[in-house]
Amino acid sequence: MMAGGAMPGRTIPQPVEAVPETAPPIVELANVSKTFGQGRQEVSALEHIRLAIGRGEFVTVVGPSGCGKSTLFNILAGLTEADPGASIRYGGQPRAAKELLGKVAFMPQRDLLLPWRRVVDNAILPLQVEGMSRAEALKRAAPMFPEFGLAGFEKHYPHQLSGGMRQRVALMRTFLFERDLTLLDEPFGALDALTRSLMQRWLLEVWQRHQRTILFITHDVDEAIFLGDRVVVMTARPGRIKLVLDVKLPRPRDAEIVTSPEFIQIKRQVLAAIEEESLKSFQQATGG
Amino acid sequence: MSNKTAALGADIAIGVAGPLLVLVLWEALVRGLAVPTYVLPAPSAIAAQVVTDLPLLLGGLGVTLGEAAAGYAIGAAIALALACLFVLAPVLERILLPVLVALNSVPVVAFAPVALLWFGMGPASKIAMVTLAVGFAVFVNAHHGLRAVDESAANLLRSFGAGPLRQMVLLRVPAALPSIMNGLRVAVVRSMIIAIVAEMIGAYKGLGWTIFEATQQVDFLRVWAAIAVASAASMAVYGVVNWLDRRLVFWR
Repeated sequence: MMAGGAMPGRTIPQPVEAVPETAPPIVELANVSKTFGQGRQEVSALEHIRLAIGRGEFVTVVGPSGCGKSTLFNILAGLTEADPGASIRYGGQPRAAKELLGKVAFMPQRDLLLPWRRVVDNAILPLQVEGMSRAEALKRAAPMFPEFGLAGFEKHYPHQLSGGMRQRVALMRTFLFERDLTLLDEPFGALDALTRSLMQRWLLEVWQRHQRTILFITHDVDEAIFLGDRVVVMTARPGRIKLVLDVKLPRPRDAEIVTSPEFIQIKRQVLAAIEEESLKSFQQATGG
Repeated sequence: MSNKTAALGADIAIGVAGPLLVLVLWEALVRGLAVPTYVLPAPSAIAAQVVTDLPLLLGGLGVTLGEAAAGYAIGAAIALALACLFVLAPVLERILLPVLVALNSVPVVAFAPVALLWFGMGPASKIAMVTLAVGFAVFVNAHHGLRAVDESAANLLRSFGAGPLRQMVLLRVPAALPSIMNGLRVAVVRSMIIAIVAEMIGAYKGLGWTIFEATQQVDFLRVWAAIAVASAASMAVYGVVNWLDRRLVFWR
């Protein structure tokens, strides 16, 4: 896949281009920047993001908090326009961000389950938005409950579920919204370590079975490497792509892989890049 | 479960004990100090009067409740529609909200003469005033609730491709339900008060008219009997709305 080098990753000076060699990419970003506010208050959240994601890829994004990861997601979900001059191609077509509304499956950080809807009715929400009848949507959702570990909880209300289960309902809702690209924003951020590691392996299974393309935000380096085909490391504000690493660990991946030399090798590179960034932003903050 | 039942029993006992204590003290005070009836009649005397006047009072209550209910329904419907409309079309809100605020800053009762002039002495004028009073109470709460919706949840629906109308039906209205129910609850008591006051100002029927007429005839016992019936009816309706609230907003 990569030209030369026994290294499991590659380091490219910024701006970074990351185009997979197989199949035309589902989404292709070039020169995507975003500034908020005006004049003195102007804050640059994203700068010259260049990223392409191929069909079926699992790409993870790591970076310090405030690196514009969520802004990037909001643009991809169609919720925020990028600054003029950005190029967003989705399915080969150039698009304005707002044209992506309804075309990308987006799971925000919080589960955002609606408390007045039962688990089933929360899961089928996007289908109902599409105009599907409730009966048909329920039929579509029914076989997914066991897979998402929610069998027997269809009729429960969100407040009756544990954090891990709520997150699985939100994931199921996202997966029922079948789109070419799925965005997951720190879906496991609020879970305890054990539940988290179980959910990661489970997510990989679901991803492989449903053959989705996933862009996954996290600030957990282990999680990013464990899940991803590629790890994208972002810089502190303004958010830029610092590094893109291919993760050529075999799949399916089991829990022990995190102690393998290859894993450690990649982790060292990611941590070094993040360390450099953290130092930079610390110096900025202290006026050094 | 038995713990819950016991707690509920205790709740009810306390809820009943308070008013009962007040009634007993009241009765004792009136009898002990031989307070004249026109100053303050004893609860037992009021109860006896309610029984004697029952057909008259129930007839009046029917009229008042009818006016209150009609005004309540119209006012609540208009208020909910307006609140939704304002959220869907912010331009309308910018134009009309100041007008509503100006109207609402005057007590509804101040409009009574106008209402009587426009709608006559019959039930229409009372319904109009109740509509106004209920409308404001419901509108303020519904409008606040519809706008206070979690922005991330709205964004999630947008990302599913939901337009403003779908967001309204699937998210905003249910999310605003606790707030809307609050408005509806406040409006219950308001609707009864306004209907009775409007009847006292000018009417031929209803509990308010009974109160007014009895005052003219210096029949204070009947005044108190009418007040007792009105208050009991208000509490009953309030209880129904409370029950509805708990059923509808079960997730709170």
